[in-house]
Order: sequence, then C-alpha cells, then structure tokens
Amino acid sequence: MNNTLRTRLLSILFIFGLGIYALLPSIRYQLLSDDAKNNLSKDELAYFESKSIKQGLDLKGGIYIVLEVDLPQLVNTLAKNKDKNFDKFLDELSEEYKNSSTDFFTLFEEKALEKDLKLPRYFISYGKTKDQIIEQLNLQSADSINRIIEIIQNRVDQFGVSEPTIQKQGNNRVIVELAGVQDAERARDLLQSTALLELMIVKDVESTNTIVRQIDNLTSMDVEKTNDDVDQLFDTNNSDKNSLGFSSLLISVGSDLAISTSNLSKLQNILNQDNVKQVLDATGSLFLTSNSAATLINDFGEEEEVYLLYHLVDNAELTGGVIEDAQMRLSQSGVSAGQATVQVEMNNEGSREWARITGSNINKRIAIVLDKKVHMAPVIRSQIFGGGTVIEGLDSIQEAEDIAIVLRAGSLPVPVTIQEERTVGASLGADSVSSGAYSMLIGLLIVILFIIFYYRLSGLIASFAVIWTLILLLGILALLGATLTLPGIAGLILTVGMSVDANVIIFERIKEELRNGRSVRSAIDAGYQRAITTIVDANLTTGIAAAVLYQYGSGPIKGFATVLFWGIIVSMFTAIIVTRFIFDYVISKRNIEELSI
Amino acid sequence: MKFIENTKIKFMSFKKAGFALSATLGAGSLFLLMLGLNLGIDFKGGTAIGLSFTEEVSIQEIRTVMQSVSVQDQEFDLSKEEIKYFGSNKDVMIKINSQDNTPENFGQGIVNHIYESMPTKVPQDKNMFVLSLGAVSPKVGSELSGKAFWSIISALVLILFYISIRFEFKFAIGAILALVHDIIITLGIFSLTGYEITLSTVAAFLTIVGYSLNDTIVILDRVRENMKSSGTVLFESTINKSINQSLSRTLITSLTTLFVIVVLLIYGGEVIRPFAFTMFVGVIIGTYSSIYIASALLATIYKSSN
Repeated sequence: MNNTLRTRLLSILFIFGLGIYALLPSIRYQLLSDDAKNNLSKDELAYFESKSIKQGLDLKGGIYIVLEVDLPQLVNTLAKNKDKNFDKFLDELSEEYKNSSTDFFTLFEEKALEKDLKLPRYFISYGKTKDQIIEQLNLQSADSINRIIEIIQNRVDQFGVSEPTIQKQGNNRVIVELAGVQDAERARDLLQSTALLELMIVKDVESTNTIVRQIDNLTSMDVEKTNDDVDQLFDTNNSDKNSLGFSSLLISVGSDLAISTSNLSKLQNILNQDNVKQVLDATGSLFLTSNSAATLINDFGEEEEVYLLYHLVDNAELTGGVIEDAQMRLSQSGVSAGQATVQVEMNNEGSREWARITGSNINKRIAIVLDKKVHMAPVIRSQIFGGGTVIEGLDSIQEAEDIAIVLRAGSLPVPVTIQEERTVGASLGADSVSSGAYSMLIGLLIVILFIIFYYRLSGLIASFAVIWTLILLLGILALLGATLTLPGIAGLILTVGMSVDANVIIFERIKEELRNGRSVRSAIDAGYQRAITTIVDANLTTGIAAAVLYQYGSGPIKGFATVLFWGIIVSMFTAIIVTRFIFDYVISKRNIEELSI
Repeated sequence: MKFIENTKIKFMSFKKAGFALSATLGAGSLFLLMLGLNLGIDFKGGTAIGLSFTEEVSIQEIRTVMQSVSVQDQEFDLSKEEIKYFGSNKDVMIKINSQDNTPENFGQGIVNHIYESMPTKVPQDKNMFVLSLGAVSPKVGSELSGKAFWSIISALVLILFYISIRFEFKFAIGAILALVHDIIITLGIFSLTGYEITLSTVAAFLTIVGYSLNDTIVILDRVRENMKSSGTVLFESTINKSINQSLSRTLITSLTTLFVIVVLLIYGGEVIRPFAFTMFVGVIIGTYSSIYIASALLATIYKSSN
C-alpha cells in the first residue's frame, strides 16, 4: 500500500472510529433494562442524556405546550384609574389581538391613537408621554415573561420530569416540552394555573342580602325592558322564568348561598353586566364560587349538583407572595381525618400580617381563595400566631401535592393562555417508533439487495457506503444531542436514498466511460471526477432546502432538517471518499481487467 | 446488469405534448385548489383528538355522544365535526374547527366527556385512552401558515440564486418553474384525495423540492458539459443527448427511492402515511418535470433567444 492510500485509509478509519465512539452511549443506554435505567444515578443519567440521541415527543410520548402571556390582562393589571372607556378599549383590543399576529403593543398604540385614548391618564406612573409609557409597558411584559419562565421551571423541577425543555419564544411566549409525561391533564394544570392564593374576608349575611336585592332590581328591570320591546316574540313561560332575576338562581344551604351547576353560565352573565359590575364596585364586593361541586337534595327530592357562592370583600387581606413553604398533609383529626390538605407556612412579614388580620376579624369568616375559586371559608375563632394555615376541600392526594408545588414555586405574575398544544400518548409513540424503525430496515434491505443485484461487486461497495452513512449520521446526531422525531426518521430514510443516488451517479458515469473504451483505472478516475460536480451541485441545492426548513420550521420539522442537512454531508463523504478509496485500493492490489459493475 | 444503455429517445420531440399535459394538470390542480384544501389544525387552528377504544366503535355512536358536550359550563354541539377511523375501527381521529370563545382546555374537556359517556368501551387508565391531542389557536395557525409559505418561497429564491451562479439564469428559470409545477400538482392531488395538509406535509413538500431539483440538476449538469464539448450541435439535440445519458441514473434512483417510500406507505403507520404519500406523488411528478418542464423550457428559451 503506498503512502497516500495509507493516509486515506487512516483518516477514514479515524472518522469511522469517531462515529462508533459517538454512538456508544446511545447503544449502551438502549441495551440497559428498564430496571437498570431507573436505578441510574443522577450523574449517570445526565451523562446518557447529553451523549445519546434523544427521542422526540412523537416517539416517546409527552406533552408540548406553547403558553402566551395574557398581555391584555397585564395591561389591565398595570392600569390605574380605570373607567368604562378604558374597559371598553381593552375588551375590543383583546378581541382584535386574539385573531391578529401583529405585536401586541403595536396594536395597543394604534388602537389608542384611533380611539383617542389618553394613555398618561391610566399609566402616569410609567411615564408622561405615549412613547415612554409603551416602552415601560414593554419592559414590564419582558420582565413578567422572565418571571413566568423561572416559576414554570420551578414547578416542572418539583414535578419531577426528566429532560424538560423550557424556552422563550418571541417576547411573550414560553414553549414547554415534557417528554415521557403520561398524564397530560395534570401536567397542563400544573403549568397553567396562576396559583394566586388570596385570603379574603367573607361579607356578612346582611350585606349579602342587600346586594342580592340590588342586583335583583337591576336584572328584573332589564328583563321587563326587553319584554316590552319583544313582547310578542317570547311565550309567557319563558319571560316569567327570566324576570325572576338573580335571586331565583340562588339556593340557600344553611347560612350559605349556592347555585346549581346548570345555572353557572347564567350567573356569570349577570355578574358581567355593566350595571351589576358598578354596584359591586361601589360596595367593594365580589362573588366567587367554591372550587368543587357538592351534591344536594333539592325541594323536589332530586339530587342536584351545586357550587357554593361566596360574597367577599373585593380586596385580598393577604396573598401567596408571603408563602415560605407548602406541603401536602393528611388531615389527622375531625370529620376530615384522612383527607388530603395543604399546610402553608408564611414568612415573618406574612405571619405578622396574618396575626393582625385574624386578631381584628374574630368571629368573621375568612375565605381561602386559590385562582379565584374558594377552597374553604372557616370562621376565625381566635387570633393566629406563627403564620400557618391549612387549605382543605381537595379531591385527592394528587391535587393536594400539585397545589403544594405551585404554591411553593410561586404564583404567575400574569395569567397565561395555551396557544398550541401537542400531546402524544405513549402508546402511539411506541407504535410510531416500531413501525418507523421496521419500515426503515425493510427499505434499507430492499435497496441494498437491489443495488447489489444491479451493480454486482460495486453494488456491494455502495451498500457498505450506505450502511456507514447511517452509522455516521446517527453518530453526529448523538454528538449534537439532537432529538429524533418521526419526520427525523423520514429524514434518515431520505438520506439512505440520497446516499444511494450519489453512488448511482458515480457508477453510471464509470460505466459510460468504460463503454467509451477507457481502461478500468482511467474510467474510475474520470467517472469520479465528472460525477463529483453533479453530486455537489445536486446535494448543495437540497442542503439549501434543509437550511431553510431549519430556519423556519418548528419542533418536528427542525428535527427533519437537521437529519437531512447532516445526511447530505455524510453521504457525500461516504460516496466520494470512502468508495473511491476502496476502488483505488483494490486496483492497486491486483490488475483488474473487467470491473464488476 | 443493465436495463438501459445507449438510448436515443428524442424526448424533445414530445415537448409540446409534455407542455400540454403539464398545462392541463396544472390548470386542473389550480381549479381543485380553489375548491379547497383539507388544511390541518396546524394552519387553521382547532383541536384534533386521537382516541383509542377497547373495542370497535361506530362513528355514528361518537357523533351521538358529541351532540351535546359541556366544557366548563358551556354547551357545544360537535356532532357535525370531522370524525374518522385512524388505522383500525377501534381508533378514531376527531378534528374540531376552532370555535368562538373556546374555553380553556377545550380538547381535554371533550376527551373527558367522551370518556364518561362511553364507559364500557374505554380503557381504565384515561391516559391510555388518549392517543394524541393537538390544539392550535387560530392565531398560531395563521403564524404557522405564514411561516410555511415563506419557507417555501425563500427556499425557491435561494435555489434560483444558486443555480444562476453555478449555471446560468436561463437554467434557473426552467428549474424553478419545474419546482412550482411540482408543488402545484402535488397540492392538486391533495385537494383531490382530501388528504390533510400538516406541518409534516410541508416538510415533505420541501423534500420533493430538493428531490426534483436533484433530478433536474443531474440533467442540466450534463447539458452544460455537452454544450462545452459540442458548440455546433442544435440545442434541442444536446438536451436529448443529456437526458438519454442520465436516463439510467434517473430511473434507478427514482426506483430505489420509490421502494423505500412504498415500504413507508405500507408499514410506516398512520402518523407517517401522509408524509409518505406526498413523497410518492412528488417523486413521480419530480422525475417527469425534470425532463418535460426544466429541460424542455430550457430548450424553448434557448430557441427563442437565438
């Protein structure tokens, strides 16, 4: 073997060696039994995670969620001196924003200009001019998205998911990927819940009765008015039902009010009426329902699902910001023994406040409100020192654990909405893996048989090149820590196709040169030389398509583009350098008169 | 082993027939496109739910259950939405168009409703019941369509640029028109078959672009080479010669690619089938268009400019 051949062989062997070395962790990980996988230490797991090919959500199952900060809500929270005009403006803006892909604050500015809304009137603490205000609001939004990411990271860490990915998209979205998570419903609640804990005083029965009467007046007046207009259109039964107004929806349960599950949307409609809102605002009142329904036997002896309805002081005495720790506990005593509760510990400041609040409200009721749902409303019997409180009324241990997690991780500064979600069940993922891998093997086999059948010994060389293309490509993916998705498997299959194509182009060219009467050696030389430009041009243009896909694509498509891009490079290497070396080596060993091609 | 060698087919003699065929297919596809494409939730927004029952279910049965779905105290009649089998008669795929004022977690609400309404046919573990759940807001949908559109356009522009540099602008025009032709006809076939267009079909479209381009460039490369060596020969015959010279490569590569794609179509499973189908159609059209669009247009352009 002469020197250049030896150098070429060594470099090829070196690259093959690197490819195998890069694949080793993935192979070792695949060979581990499920038990062994579960028993890996944290360091070992981190090693395998960073060094081996990851399976994407579509293969492993899991959940992918894009959360968006509720920007209209953020602006609403930041605004001061809000009036009817502002509320209307914001309602219209958020409706428009829902269907528009324009940046929120650009839209905000346009709309404010169009409606002639004086921004400094509402946002004076953020600046005196429109530009200053918008800039400050932008900063606030950037700040809140960073806090949201931090909090979601906290929650996910405590939930215990391996390899979570949490990243910012644009300036108001967060992408969360939880591979392998089975219970999507639970994970979604955990991510999305604002987890705002509020402690609010419950208003006394007298003022509740007063406000119910006031709202009754407003709603029945409304109904009469509409009845005058459309008298003929409604049959009397229907209008009778409507004219009973607010109190007709309410059921009394002991000293509490309740509302049937079927009437919840009617209740919301009434509470959202402008004139009702005004009355509530004027008296500083707020109506909230309980977090879960109770079953009740109604006047007709039927079972009825109801929610308790609480009339609260619309101003939280204390919020979740003072929480130092929250833990799930099983209740030890009383009627609730054995039920899951969440024990909350407050920091010093919170404890002092809590002592003050409980001290000055003895014999009143205090509602523990989580995300605008009342969990319980016990009567304060005595002043509480030490900053402890308990949340009861939870359905399961799991729910209690999740609430403890979100309380510990902190509440989101602004609510988030789910813009995009993709959940893949583990069974579908497993199906995809097996059918993807299965069809890849069959496809590979057919192609190899075909080229060996067609090109004989040269076909064998090409098959060798194709198999190495796959091994090296997988090695690169492992080095990159890339995630293999279903389109990624399609990309692998395509790479096989391209790798075959490169060999076909070369072989056809060599055949042609042989037909033109060249010797084997010079036909190989000429064939490779001419084929290379074609292969490079063809592959580079495909490479352009791959790069564009990578740039624009999201999630699974990015995976496809990565595989395609590296596949092009690897297949050019094996087709041009590796097979060429084999031909040259064989020719240097013996004098070949006829090429098996 | 050889199938074909030293062929001397006068491809360009059938140029007019080729143009006519492409024009007909193209016009037909554009007409079908105007009738509408089955856009997936990726582009339109909406909710798609894959469910796995423990025994066979009828679509009608599910429609009945979905007549009144209550999610977070709002009632929906979803019986008119698209419901179809997914692989077997035990698995179904439900696609729901985006509704006004969709409540939070609409998809999960529907899953829960069906799960509770058909207790005898669902697995114990609710997580085993849900094969997949996808929800895309209309806003994200329009963003994704925008992205997909621009990714195809920018890929085409970059390719045009590359070919203009490596070859000539005249070559690039033919190549790009061939690609546009491929995409339009593939879309037309999608419209005809009612297959859904999703993010992965867009990936497949771009793969077709790459594949068809491969074919075209292999031929154009030959044309360039032959033009250098034989300045005197009529241009159309140069193109014929180049196509014939690369014909065996074109056929063998198309054949091996089709082998793999057919395997994918048969064994690849429900998720990958639309992708494989797109590729299948695209490979055939791409091979045809390299000859009768890219090369034939090049011949026409040269003829008219001389």
